[in-house]
Amino acid sequence: MKEYFNNAWSALYTIFVGMKITFKHLFVPSVTIQYPDVKLQLPERERNRLYVNMDDCIGCDQCARACPVDCITIETVKGIPGEDLGKTSNGKKKALWVTKFDIDFAKCCYCQLCVFPCPTECIYMTDVYEFSEFERSNLIYDFVTLTPQEREDKKNNYAKFEAEKAAEKAAAKPAPATKPIENQETPKP
Amino acid sequence: MNVYDLIFYLFAAITILSAFFVVTTRNIVYSAYYLLFTFFGVAGIYVLLGADFIAMVQLIVYVGGILILLLFGVMLTNKITNVDIKSGTIHTVPATIGVALFAGIILASMWNTNWKNVNSDMQVASTQHLGFLLIHQYALVFELLGILLLIALIGAASMARK
Amino acid sequence: MIYDFLFKITDSNIIASIIQSLLPLFIFILPFALFAVWLERKVSAHMQDRLGPMRVGYHGALQTIADILKLVQKEDIIPNEADKPLFNIAPVLVFIGSYAVFAAIPFSGAFIGSNIDLGIIFIIAASGFVVAGILMAGWASNNKYSLLGAMRSAAQIISYEIPTVLVVLTIIMITGTTNLQTLSEMQTGHFWNWMILGGPKFGIAKFIFIPFMIINFIIIYISTLAEVNRTPFDIPEAESELVSGYHTEYSGMKFAMFFLAEYANMFAVSAIVTALFFGGYQSPVGYVGNLFGIHWLIPIEQFFWFTAKGIFFVFVQMWLRWTLPRLRVDQLMTACWKYLIPIAFVNLIIIGLITVL
Ligand code: SF4
Ligand code: SF4
Repeated sequence: MKEYFNNAWSALYTIFVGMKITFKHLFVPSVTIQYPDVKLQLPERERNRLYVNMDDCIGCDQCARACPVDCITIETVKGIPGEDLGKTSNGKKKALWVTKFDIDFAKCCYCQLCVFPCPTECIYMTDVYEFSEFERSNLIYDFVTLTPQEREDKKNNYAKFEAEKAAEKAAAKPAPATKPIENQETPKP
Repeated sequence: MNVYDLIFYLFAAITILSAFFVVTTRNIVYSAYYLLFTFFGVAGIYVLLGADFIAMVQLIVYVGGILILLLFGVMLTNKITNVDIKSGTIHTVPATIGVALFAGIILASMWNTNWKNVNSDMQVASTQHLGFLLIHQYALVFELLGILLLIALIGAASMARK
Repeated sequence: MIYDFLFKITDSNIIASIIQSLLPLFIFILPFALFAVWLERKVSAHMQDRLGPMRVGYHGALQTIADILKLVQKEDIIPNEADKPLFNIAPVLVFIGSYAVFAAIPFSGAFIGSNIDLGIIFIIAASGFVVAGILMAGWASNNKYSLLGAMRSAAQIISYEIPTVLVVLTIIMITGTTNLQTLSEMQTGHFWNWMILGGPKFGIAKFIFIPFMIINFIIIYISTLAEVNRTPFDIPEAESELVSGYHTEYSGMKFAMFFLAEYANMFAVSAIVTALFFGGYQSPVGYVGNLFGIHWLIPIEQFFWFTAKGIFFVFVQMWLRWTLPRLRVDQLMTACWKYLIPIAFVNLIIIGLITVL
């Protein structure tokens, strides 16, 4: 009998204790933030969308080789002698035209492995993490700064140069002229 | 024909139609739900007769209690909901005689009773009156019924314990 | 009073009663449901140190309207294997049950849907339709979770109706009336005339009543909470076990009807508790209208007090919801049959003795 009333009393009493606690929380300032309006401070070494500074890129393909999911595709053509490709910011001379530099962020796992091997430190993580898209193909980012026309020109120039060289060689040494294999794949705009 | 008549015929139609469907439908759950409307119609007629307490008790006991228990029984019983109820015609002659007898008794009592005419829109404080009658004039019957129900309850409880 | 007014403008008792019967729906239940859904979200959010909806309107005030718009546009899905007629009727039946209750609730001295003598008994009777509707929904969905939820719900409502009715009986014994309007009128004056503080009659009995009244209030509050399937008694809709109980299969407007019925029920039980124990629509401190002699103001004030009290109890329901965990089925039945009902019975007998003496 005593236990019965004790039970009833403790049930009632504990309900009130619980209600007191929740009531207090009613006035605790919220711990959440209004996300799109207010954003959390990101940690210093956060890993988000990559960016490639094409002015510095020497087209060495190291990042593409380091990537575990193969989401970087790089195509390069050599510059012809006498053409000035410019220098990177740490003084290296560029020798290759980068005609294609696509990163597929749909595949990228943000592991940052591509960042470390870069000799000129031109591929790095930014703090942009809101870049959802309706089409998966929109997630393929093209970083090349050259216009499609220029890319074509660079390729054709090099092909012409090669052809000329081959012709010279053929003239000097009568050997069967081999046409260089042209890479006619047009880069994605 | 005034509004009260209209409402009466509405309730009467609900009661009779749904009662008809209770016995004719093949699906036992439908039957139970038609019964809901029958009870509802009967309660409405009680209200029109000025017996509002009876109407409420009708709803509480039948809709809120009996019908729910019925549905519970039907739904908890395995496979009963999909079984077609047999509705063939058998024993035509005895059945006709029985029904005719029963109908005759009901009709006879209907015609021979001296019905009291009460104005349907009259307001009567029936609850208090009813309470007085139950406690004074019909006290014995009331108590006996109470004891009967108690016995039934105890019996059910003791059977359930076995 | 409202009826007389409507009768005067429309000059036909049928139209007047139809308009009057629609009034609670449009001036009360719909706005209340909109408000209560928002309140529920806000209360739950703030109790968990969140903010809740913030983007639609000021502090998300229009969020519910946006949700309603979404629900209206939704496709009305009827499962292939469902029992179509019953599936379609069930939400209507549930809504009828919870709407019928509002006919007997006295919102103010001037407005009560139907001032019947058996107000409180009518309310108990009308809620029977809700149970039938819930069972119908559960069975017609042809889904084991729905059926289980409906079964649990019906069992729970039937069990918890008993303590509710017992407590209502004690009130009937003290006041000698089942008319909610009369009951509210009796508790006029100041808050010490409320039933929870022993009722309007001053005397030694009043003070003896007080502890029993408080116990009564707690019992009826717990049992009505169970009757409207709110946490901690929400095992019929226990999300972690039953998806969402009897309305798992419903979508669009039919789901909205269940939702509306649920919130209407929440207010209805709060209104009953208010009318029985907390003076109904009576103000606790007196009326501004009386003070300045503006008599038409009094019914409006009464309406304000009634809704304020009702919404306060709805708030307590939400508060409890975010405080307590869900009960197990056996605990639920234990709480009802072993604790509430015996205590309510003892209370009934003691109060009966006190009233007789
Ligand atoms: S972050 Fe990782 S996955 Fe993404 S491009 Fe770099 S190496 Fe590839
Ligand atoms: S490693 Fe750096 S420099 Fe080399 S291709 Fe990648 S981005 Fe360009």
